[in-house]
Amino acid sequence: MKILVTAKRVPDPEQKVKVQGDAIDLSGMNFVVNPFDEYAVEAALRLKESSGAVDEIVVLTIGSKDVTQQLRSCLAMGADRGILVEGDDDSLDSEQTARIIKAVYERESPDLLLMGKQAVDGDNNQVAQLVAGKLDLPQACFAGQLELEGDASAITVGREIDGGMEFKKVPLPSVVTVDLRIVMPTAVKTAGSKDNQEYAEGPRYASLKGIMQAKKKKIDEISVGDLGVELEQWVKTTSVETPPSRSAGIKVESVDELVDKLQNEAKVL
Amino acid sequence: MAQYAADVRDIKFVLFEQLDIDGLITTERFNDFSRDDIAMIVDEGYKLAREVFAPSNEPADREGCTIEDGKVTVPKVMREPWKAFIDGGWLGLAMNPKYGGQGAPDVLRKAVDDMFFGANISLNLGLLLTPSSGHLIEVFGTEALRKTYCEKMYTGVWSGTMCLTESGAGSDVGASKTKATKVDDHYLIEGEKIFITFGEHDLTENIVHCVLARVEGAPAGTKGLSLFCVPKFLPDANGKPGEFNNVVCAGIEHKMGINASPTCTMTFGANGPCKGWLLGDENRGMAAMFQMMNEARINVGMQGAALASAAMLEALRYAQERLQGSHIKDFKNADAPRTAIINHPDVRMMLMRQKAYCEGMRSMLMYTSYAFDREQAAKDEQEREPWSAVLDFLTPICKAYCTDMGFRVTEWALQCFGGYGYLKDYPAEQYMRDSKIASLYEGTNGIQALDLVGRKLGGRGGGNAKAVGKMVSKVAEKAAGHPRFGELGKALGVALARWGEVSKGLGAAAAGGNMLAPMLGATQYLGLCGDMLMASFLLEQALIADTALEKAGVDPADAKALLAAARTDAEVRFYDSKIKTARFFFANELPQLEAKARSVTSGDTSAMDIVWPELA
Repeated sequence: MKILVTAKRVPDPEQKVKVQGDAIDLSGMNFVVNPFDEYAVEAALRLKESSGAVDEIVVLTIGSKDVTQQLRSCLAMGADRGILVEGDDDSLDSEQTARIIKAVYERESPDLLLMGKQAVDGDNNQVAQLVAGKLDLPQACFAGQLELEGDASAITVGREIDGGMEFKKVPLPSVVTVDLRIVMPTAVKTAGSKDNQEYAEGPRYASLKGIMQAKKKKIDEISVGDLGVELEQWVKTTSVETPPSRSAGIKVESVDELVDKLQNEAKVL
Repeated sequence: MAQYAADVRDIKFVLFEQLDIDGLITTERFNDFSRDDIAMIVDEGYKLAREVFAPSNEPADREGCTIEDGKVTVPKVMREPWKAFIDGGWLGLAMNPKYGGQGAPDVLRKAVDDMFFGANISLNLGLLLTPSSGHLIEVFGTEALRKTYCEKMYTGVWSGTMCLTESGAGSDVGASKTKATKVDDHYLIEGEKIFITFGEHDLTENIVHCVLARVEGAPAGTKGLSLFCVPKFLPDANGKPGEFNNVVCAGIEHKMGINASPTCTMTFGANGPCKGWLLGDENRGMAAMFQMMNEARINVGMQGAALASAAMLEALRYAQERLQGSHIKDFKNADAPRTAIINHPDVRMMLMRQKAYCEGMRSMLMYTSYAFDREQAAKDEQEREPWSAVLDFLTPICKAYCTDMGFRVTEWALQCFGGYGYLKDYPAEQYMRDSKIASLYEGTNGIQALDLVGRKLGGRGGGNAKAVGKMVSKVAEKAAGHPRFGELGKALGVALARWGEVSKGLGAAAAGGNMLAPMLGATQYLGLCGDMLMASFLLEQALIADTALEKAGVDPADAKALLAAARTDAEVRFYDSKIKTARFFFANELPQLEAKARSVTSGDTSAMDIVWPELA
C-alpha cells in the first residue's frame, strides 16, 4: 500500500505577521511545515509502523526550491520519498492547488491520500474536499482517529463533530484529512497494533539518524507543465490589511446607559 | 511566560558566514556533512530545545532533586525531555560513529548546546557529561572496556560522570585521598568524592564514573593520580547491569542554582568491594583528564554564553512590551502617553551591552571549537600546529571570560526588568542563579587565569601568543584599509599593541624570577585578552555584515537608506545591527582594556602587603 501525504510550507505561526503595503511581509520569516500536515505525516508513519502493510509514504509539496527544506524535514521524520512541484506557493488558490494534487495523485496512484485538515496560513479548509470531488473518491475529513483494516481495503475514520466522535468506514483508495487529535498516543490503530501500544503525543521529532538519512532519499522535481495542469486564478486578492486594533473600553455610569448604548450604538438589542 | 527563544540567526551567521565551514566539511573526517545537514540539525535542535527542553526549565528548578536512602530523584518534568534527547540520538552528535555516534564536528555540538543550555542547563549538564566521560573510556580504555561502555554511553542507555573533587581537594586536586588497590585485572577503589554532577539519579539503568584515585605507593600530588572507570552496577556477561558495585550517594547539595542537576557526594567501597578498571597508565590520570579538559572548558564557557543569550532575549522582549514613563521627546509633556521602556536611553545601553557581549562570546566560543575540529581533522603536524596554538591560548579565556561576562549579562538582563526582575514570576533571576556556577566549576576562573599566564602565554615558546596576535592583526589590517571601518581597525591595532606589551612584560617578569606580578595580574590579564578578542570578533562580523549589505543592494554608507531598509527587512536589520554592535563595543567597552593593562603593569603589591585583621 502507498500513502501520499501533502505538506505545505507556512510562515512559523509563532511569529507576528506584518503587512507591507498590499501584501504580508515574508522577509526574514521563518517557515515551517503546516502543523496539520505534520500530523498527517505522523499518522502515515504510525500506520506504516504498526500495520506492516504500507510500503511507501510519499510526501508532496508545491513551491519554490526553498521548500525542499520543509520536504526534507518530513523525510527526516521517516517518510520515504518526496515530490516537489515547482510553483509559487504564495499565489496558488485552493482550486489550483487541488488540480495539481489531482494530477500527482493520478501519476502516483496511492491507496490513501492523507492531508492536514487545513493550512494555518490561509485557513481555507477546501483543498482536500476539492481533490476528492475531482477524483470522485470517498472523503472523510477531520480525523481524530484512524483504524486500518487488516487487508488494507478500508479505513475507519473517527471524525470530530460537535457532539463527539462519528465513525465512518471508507473503502480505499480515498481522501482523509486529519485534525489535531490524530497525534494523541492511541489515535492511530491497525490490525498489527499491540493492545497497549502508545505513541508519544504530538508529531515526532526528527532523529539525527533520520536527518542524515533524509539527504539520501529521493525528491522528484516536477513542473506544473509536466503535469499538464491548467492554472487559472479563481481567487484574486484585492487588498491585505491588518485587523483593526481594539480600542480602549469605557465605563458606563448606569444600567440604563448600558442598555441605551447596546441598543443605539452597538445595535445588538 | 513567553516561549524560550535562542538566537538561531546569529548561530547560523557564525557557522555559515564567519567560520570557514567549507574548509571543515571538506576534510576527510567531516565530509559526511553538508551545509544543508548542518542547518537542518540546528533547526531540528532548536525545535527540541524550544518545545521540549524549555518548558521543563522553571518547573524543574522549583521542584529540585530529592534523596532518600541513597536514591536520588530528579524533577519528574525532566524525564520526557531526557528521553526525547536520547531517542533522537543527540547525545552522540559529535561522537565516534563506531560506537553509535554521528561523528559531527564539535562546532555543531556547540551550536546546538547554545540552545540546549539556554533552554535548560541542568538537564543538558547530565546529557553532556555522559558522552564526555564515555570519550575518556574510548581514548584511554582497553578494547574490552570500549566494547562494554562506549556505545551504551553514546546512545544514552547508561550515563557518565567525572569524579575529581574531594572535600580537601578542589582546586588542589593533587591532594586527593581516594585510593586504588590492584587485584588481578582490576583495582579496588575506596574513598569519597564530592560535587559530582549527576553522580546519582533515576534516569538511566546504570551510571559509569570516571574516578581519579591514587594507587598504593604512588607519589603524592597530581603525579600520583590514576584514572579509573567505576560503574555503579557491574556489567554482566550480556552487557546488562549486574551486581551492585558499592557506589553510594551519601547526599546531595542544596545550591543557589542548577537546582534540577543533582550535585552528589559519592562514596566508593565503603560497604563492600568497589571495582574499578584503569584508564590509561598508572599515575597518568591527570594527563588523561587534561586531554578532555579543553573540550570541557569550552563547554562551560558555552554555558555562560548560552544563559546570557537566553536572558538577553527575555530582557529584550520585556523591554519592548513594558510601558513605563514617557518618551524622551515628550519630556516636557506630563500627559504624554506611556512608552515601552526600550525607548529609554539607559535601557537601550543595557540591551546593547548585553547584545555585544553575547555575540562576541558566541563568536569566540564557536571559533575556538572550530579550531578544535581543525586540530582533530588535520592531516599532519604542520597543518595541526597553528590550530593547536590558538586553541591552547583561547581555551582558558573561553572558560573564564564567557562565564564571568555571561553572568554579568544575566545581571544586566535582570536589571532591565526593574524590580520585577528580582521576582520568581519572571525568568531573569533563574538565569542569573543558574549561570553563577559556570565561573566556579571545571577549574575556577582564578585557576583559568593562572593557567593562561603560567602555561598558555609562554606555551610553544611564545607560539601560542603569536598565533593569536596574527589572528587579531589580520582583522585589524583588513578594517584599517576599509572606507567605513578605518577608525575601528586602528583602534584594534592599538589594543593589539597594548596586549603585546603587557604580555611581553608578564613573560619578562616570570623569566626574571618575579612570579608574583603574573599571579597578581592574571585575572585582569585574562580580562584584557577577552576584551581584545571581543573587539576582534565583533569587528570581523561587522566587516562581513557590510559586505552582505552591499550584496543585498543596500548602500552601507547611506545611513538614512540603511535605517529605512532595516525597519522593513529583517535581514538588513540583522546585518545593520552587527555593524552597530561593533561600533558600540569599540566606543563603550573596549576602553576598559587600557584600565586592565594599567592594573597588570602597575607593579602594585598592596594586596600581598596588607595585614588583614583576624576575625574571631
